[in-house]
Amino acid sequence: MSELKHGFKIDAEKCNGRMHCMRACPAHAIRVKNGKAHVISELCIDCGSCLGACPTGAITATTIKFAELDRYKFKVAVASPALFSQFGMKDTPAQVGRALLDVGFDAVWEYAVDIDLINRAIMDCVKSWPGPFPLISNSCPVIVRLVQVAYPSMLEHLIPVEAPREIAGRELKRRYSQQLSLKPEEIAAIYITPCQAKTISILQPAEESKSYLDGAVAIKEIYNELLSKMRKMTGLGDTPEGLPSSGELLHWGAPEGEFPKLSREHYLPLTGLMDVIKVLDDIEKGKIRNIEFLECHACQGGCIGGNLTVENLYNARSKNLHLLANMPKPGPEFEKEVERRYAGEDFSLRGSVKPRRTEGEVIDLRERVGRRKRADELLKALPLLNCGLCGAPTCKNHAEDVAAGRADLGDCVFLSLHRIDVLRTFYKK
Amino acid sequence: MAVELLRESFEIQGRNFDKAGEVSGEIKVILRDLGIDAANLRRLVVVAFEGEMNVVMYANRGTLTLILTDEDVNLEILDEGPGIPDIELALQEGYSTASDEMREMGFGFGMGLPNMKKNSDELRIESEVGKGTSVFAKIKLNSNV
Repeated sequence: MSELKHGFKIDAEKCNGRMHCMRACPAHAIRVKNGKAHVISELCIDCGSCLGACPTGAITATTIKFAELDRYKFKVAVASPALFSQFGMKDTPAQVGRALLDVGFDAVWEYAVDIDLINRAIMDCVKSWPGPFPLISNSCPVIVRLVQVAYPSMLEHLIPVEAPREIAGRELKRRYSQQLSLKPEEIAAIYITPCQAKTISILQPAEESKSYLDGAVAIKEIYNELLSKMRKMTGLGDTPEGLPSSGELLHWGAPEGEFPKLSREHYLPLTGLMDVIKVLDDIEKGKIRNIEFLECHACQGGCIGGNLTVENLYNARSKNLHLLANMPKPGPEFEKEVERRYAGEDFSLRGSVKPRRTEGEVIDLRERVGRRKRADELLKALPLLNCGLCGAPTCKNHAEDVAAGRADLGDCVFLSLHRIDVLRTFYKK
Repeated sequence: MAVELLRESFEIQGRNFDKAGEVSGEIKVILRDLGIDAANLRRLVVVAFEGEMNVVMYANRGTLTLILTDEDVNLEILDEGPGIPDIELALQEGYSTASDEMREMGFGFGMGLPNMKKNSDELRIESEVGKGTSVFAKIKLNSNV
């Protein structure tokens, strides 16, 4: 596999080495050496906790700026359902859709259809799945990476169905290239994203295929512009190209779960990385027996709680529930389109998700055991204070780094007083 | 002859359902970080967890020892419990002596030992009524590891 990429980057100029990111990282993937933070690539699951933790704004999502899209002849927005929960109670999804056109997209994709299609594909998959249960949703890229890194024995629980945003990208390229006589690569399929993790699933899909999407623009990035267009709008904004808030659209990414039709007895929607980890731990031991499908989102509150959204989770949730309550029933046209596409398209995941080697280079079992024993020995010399001054988040991480040849034991201030003077050179005012 | 690479023992507290599963959790992390392949890891976790649960449910205390060699992973679970009068019977699916209380907590469906047998390459049980039980499970590592 080629070099691992991530959905964010650390600007070394802006990083002042204050270790907020290192302490916030649930995967213990960040080290701060010589006053600068860096990521141990194979440990990072792209959860984005570091982005919000950095006080100097040195860590940013690798989303794209709107201006970068000029090289495409036709730009299509695929808006995460979370976008619609970011505005006022009176702002309708149709207005948001029109604002997307006003800021320069050539079309807004009717994403509700793709979401209904994937809902059906997932429910069919759950029904005919021979096991092992439970199946685990894969639309959150962080969850897929968490399983790769921490639960390799559970990879076969990941549901082998494409995410709806991918299906949207595939279909919109097909349709517009036909309608407008353009090459698919001249059409930009752009996801309006609530988190940086979607960018990594576009840049480097875990299943090692190529994404149908061309990039992601952060909700944060275009929020102000959308808002100003909406405030200038007169009337309610006619629905552009039929962008209905119908079907299952608004259930997606919402904390109440994406599958209101599934029985809660066998279906568990989970949000928040720590809660997901607790449940996956239990599944791994065979402790959870009656659940068929587990919908997992790394962000607390699901996608509407994503780190590139603007509104706080609880306001967004209230807006989402308001939209759901006022959602029109899907019309016959909508149903017909879902039927037509369901019969003609394949929704199974291209490629497969493999465990990620976290040892860096491939070494044999004997050497791996040797490293573990060395790390255990080294740990005895460390203070177990987890002060972080060595540049690793915990003493245990430091011992492991030393055993793996990634760090010097003497980076610990308890073992070499001289270390304080070294640190002073990086952190002097 | 297999060469022993690693040996670690863990205490299991009997009747402590609050901590139940912690030992198998630790074992999983050790073996995962050592790069044991996914299929064997899954089997090992199930064997360790069921073994740990048997101690928690029936015994006052016990130990689980993980022995890794260059050819296989061995789990030895020794407990000071009531012992098993009929091992053949205990290995049958659905046979259980669990109390209602245990069942209410979601355990004791008579799948513990059968599950351990199913998920290991060798399983040996020695037991003396009134003294305790020893379970030895072996899972062979793939030759390419």
